[in-house]
Amino acid sequence: MKMANEPVPVIRRNRPGTKAKEWCNWEDESFEEMDSTLAVQQFIQQAIRKDFTNVEEILNPPDGQDEGVWKYEHLRQFCMELNGLAVKLQAECNPETCTQMTATEQWIFLCAAHKTPKECPAIDYTRHTLDGAACLLNSNKYFPSRVSIKDSSVAKLGSVCRRVYRIFSHAYFHHRVLFDQYENETYLCRRFTQFVTKYNLMSKDNLIVPIMEDQQTLEGESEA
Amino acid sequence: MIEDSLGSQHSGQLGPGSGALGMVTKSQQDDGIKQRPQYSMPGILHFLQTEWARFEMERSQWEVERAELQARIAFLQGERKGQENLKQDLVRRIKMLEYALKQERAKYHKLKYGTDLNPEDLKPPSFDKENKEDQIDGEISLSTSSGTSNATWRQGRQLLRQYLQEIGYTDTIIDVRSARVRSLLGLQTQTGDSDADISQSVLVNGENQANKRDNQGKRAGLKKLSNMATDSALIDAENAVMTTFDFLNSGNVVEDDDDLSDENEDGMAADDEAEERLERKGIKLKNESNEGLDDTDPDTVEALAEFHFLETEIGGVSEKHDTSSTEDEEWVVDQRHISELKEQYKKERKGKKTRPTRHALQAMLASLGSNDDISVDNTHMQSGEDRDDDVPSGGQISYARKPMMGMQDDEENIDGGLGLGELAGLTVNNEADPMNYDISAPKEVYRKTWNAKYTLRSHFDGVRALAFHPVEPVLLTASEDHTLKLWNLQKTVPAKKAASLDVEPVYTFRAHVGPVLSLAVSPSGEQCYSGGMDTTIRCWNIPKSDIDPYDSFDPNVLSDTLEAHTDAVWGLSIHSSKNQLLSCSADGTVRLWSPGNKSPLLNTFTVESEEGVPTSVDFVRCDPSQMVASYTSSNTYIFDIETGKQVLMLETKINSDSSGSNQINRVINHPTLPISITAHEDRHIRFFDNNTGKLIHSMVAHLDSVTSLAIDPNGLYLLSGSHDCSIRLWNLDSKTCVQEITSHRKKFEESIHDVAFHPQKPYIASAGADALAKVFV
Repeated sequence: MKMANEPVPVIRRNRPGTKAKEWCNWEDESFEEMDSTLAVQQFIQQAIRKDFTNVEEILNPPDGQDEGVWKYEHLRQFCMELNGLAVKLQAECNPETCTQMTATEQWIFLCAAHKTPKECPAIDYTRHTLDGAACLLNSNKYFPSRVSIKDSSVAKLGSVCRRVYRIFSHAYFHHRVLFDQYENETYLCRRFTQFVTKYNLMSKDNLIVPIMEDQQTLEGESEA
Repeated sequence: MIEDSLGSQHSGQLGPGSGALGMVTKSQQDDGIKQRPQYSMPGILHFLQTEWARFEMERSQWEVERAELQARIAFLQGERKGQENLKQDLVRRIKMLEYALKQERAKYHKLKYGTDLNPEDLKPPSFDKENKEDQIDGEISLSTSSGTSNATWRQGRQLLRQYLQEIGYTDTIIDVRSARVRSLLGLQTQTGDSDADISQSVLVNGENQANKRDNQGKRAGLKKLSNMATDSALIDAENAVMTTFDFLNSGNVVEDDDDLSDENEDGMAADDEAEERLERKGIKLKNESNEGLDDTDPDTVEALAEFHFLETEIGGVSEKHDTSSTEDEEWVVDQRHISELKEQYKKERKGKKTRPTRHALQAMLASLGSNDDISVDNTHMQSGEDRDDDVPSGGQISYARKPMMGMQDDEENIDGGLGLGELAGLTVNNEADPMNYDISAPKEVYRKTWNAKYTLRSHFDGVRALAFHPVEPVLLTASEDHTLKLWNLQKTVPAKKAASLDVEPVYTFRAHVGPVLSLAVSPSGEQCYSGGMDTTIRCWNIPKSDIDPYDSFDPNVLSDTLEAHTDAVWGLSIHSSKNQLLSCSADGTVRLWSPGNKSPLLNTFTVESEEGVPTSVDFVRCDPSQMVASYTSSNTYIFDIETGKQVLMLETKINSDSSGSNQINRVINHPTLPISITAHEDRHIRFFDNNTGKLIHSMVAHLDSVTSLAIDPNGLYLLSGSHDCSIRLWNLDSKTCVQEITSHRKKFEESIHDVAFHPQKPYIASAGADALAKVFV
């Protein structure tokens, strides 16, 4: 209702009373026009809202974008959206059934959030990993700025990716229905897989969720 | 003819009432009567006698005058010296401020462009050069004496180093040790290294400071004491200063420790804030030591303890000293000046010796601040002063300096995050000693300012709402990243190099699907309620604030989910005594809940559809049977909770300038008075009478739309947040802004979503679209 008589120029605000449908329902702003320090986040979120299935486009950085910041902001966005998967898992993945963080039978993942890595149940592993990632990615020590990021800190993104990916893999191998439902809503695992591949943040061997088409064929070949 | 000219000369030269007057009039009479005057021997003799007496008298007068003028000049020269000192001090201060500004700019630059400025620009100002340029007239001894003092110091260190090497200490250990010792002592002088080394090195904290200290060391060399005495005095002074600023130092030590232990991982992570902080400390120290330098008294240490007294005393002492020392100096002022001075002197004498006005002195001081050289005019303005004015004038000068020092203090206070803030006035009736948790002793209680203390980083997206625990220093935040987080302000991360402490959350509440928009904490502090985009209201049992953040998942934290709304829940308000919760949603309804009941929904309040949807809701605090809700139509209604009927319409719409888009973003009620306060999109905050619905007061409160309001528990202060990135504190009595704090950055056109007062403790907090929450003390 109030969005209708929005004056020109567009004021991009979700005012109190905004309906869920109209959340962030404003016309796109070009990256050049975004003058805030959070422009990269704005740009990524805008692309996701526009079409979350267009993974290519979402991962396509604007010209001249610093790669470290681009990767960092994407990882923030992944962790944030993974909260959604965690909420779903909270309802289904209980410590009695999933006593360990596993995907395939090959590995048991130890939770790195504790002083000595611990064999946390899957749901705790999920929560702890997300909480730990939130702390690390918001750490004033490693990421004091969202505009420029030191190389030494960019190097930390890889390990966050590896840990966070296990949430996908656990959901895929143990809560497939839930995973598919979530994946259809968000395309998050596809985007994540493509992201880490594009920026070489994880080795291919670790990408065990056969989500990408080319990957699936690869899997098929290797199995054959 | 001679007589004639003589006579005319008399009448021309002599003023009335002089000894020769009788004679003159007589001769004039003679002139007039007989044309040729009659000369008698006694007459001539008498004339000559009187003339001689007159000349003698005049001569002695001139003598006195000359002596007086000499004294004056000596005094003025002394004063000039004093003023030169003052000027130098001011220039030094300006340099330091300039440097601080440069640092700020560099920081800004770094933030904006992500690169460091040319480090060349960031070198601390060198005062040695400065001094050489400015003090051509005397103290050239400074460079040499400083050199020698440094040399002995260095020599001693070299010797020690040698010994240590002989007994098997490696260089690195020595360095580490000495760095440690120095950091402990607050003495960062890099005596082992050469100065060139320092200026070349990258600008990292320690380095930066060391450089400054070095300068200080040199300045200390100015004192005409023996080298050893200088050194010990320096150390003493430093120690005294460092103990005074113990809290600063402790931060420093932590940082050094960190650097040493941190495998150089963060060696380059020169945190800007900390740098700034150190910078300020540098200024402070600098100033203190400068004051000390003016003093010829060796009791610098004592004097440093009493900062303000020192000011006055030094003023007086140095003035006197200078005056006496220059008394015997040559007559160096040129003739024109003397004649000018004479003129002035005469005038002043006639005018019964007027003392220079305060105004004149002030003007002089003002011009001192701006002019580089001491103008003659200034000294003229003072020339009526006799020597007794010495001390008072010295006092005056130092008096004028005091406010400057005060300013400095204030500045440091603000930036250091150590001030006491508004809380003194705000919270007295709740807490006996509200600041006992603070690390520093209260320095300036009279200044009421809030300073950022905690930064709450952990959310991935904008923080939409926050609320304090009713008693404990615990905070809850609700974010667009779908989570809520619990923060214990007493569990801070040992923050390095930062003025404000970082807090990590102790618990993350996950259940909402989509952004969390609203939050309310129960009066007991055991439950909290959150409303989200997903139309639900979640009821949470707040975990203990000392919970292990990585404890195992407890599904019972989520105690209940209130479902009835069909669109985003934008506002929640909890009753202070009854277990009742109000919610407003984009579905157009306001609902009243009794969480925990079997059928929690108690009532639903609706308005006609043209009112749009409710944006904010609050209980009427002084009438528990009423509640107030604002709508996107910019209307505000008071409802009777029991009947669900509208009781009153507040004249919010009538009083809005723009009819269409001026929605109300927040409505709150005064805790004790029947007043509703509304925050408007059109930058206004408006106050309404709950009984009549009439506007009480309207004010443009921010530069952009006002998003949030909070009122302190006593109803004396109002806190407002706005998309203009600032929060403002208002005195509710005078409706004036007491403080403005720029707090958050913008994401799209949004900046600050919520503000809050702690119900008992002196905390305020703001929640930003930049995914941060900040707590101020």
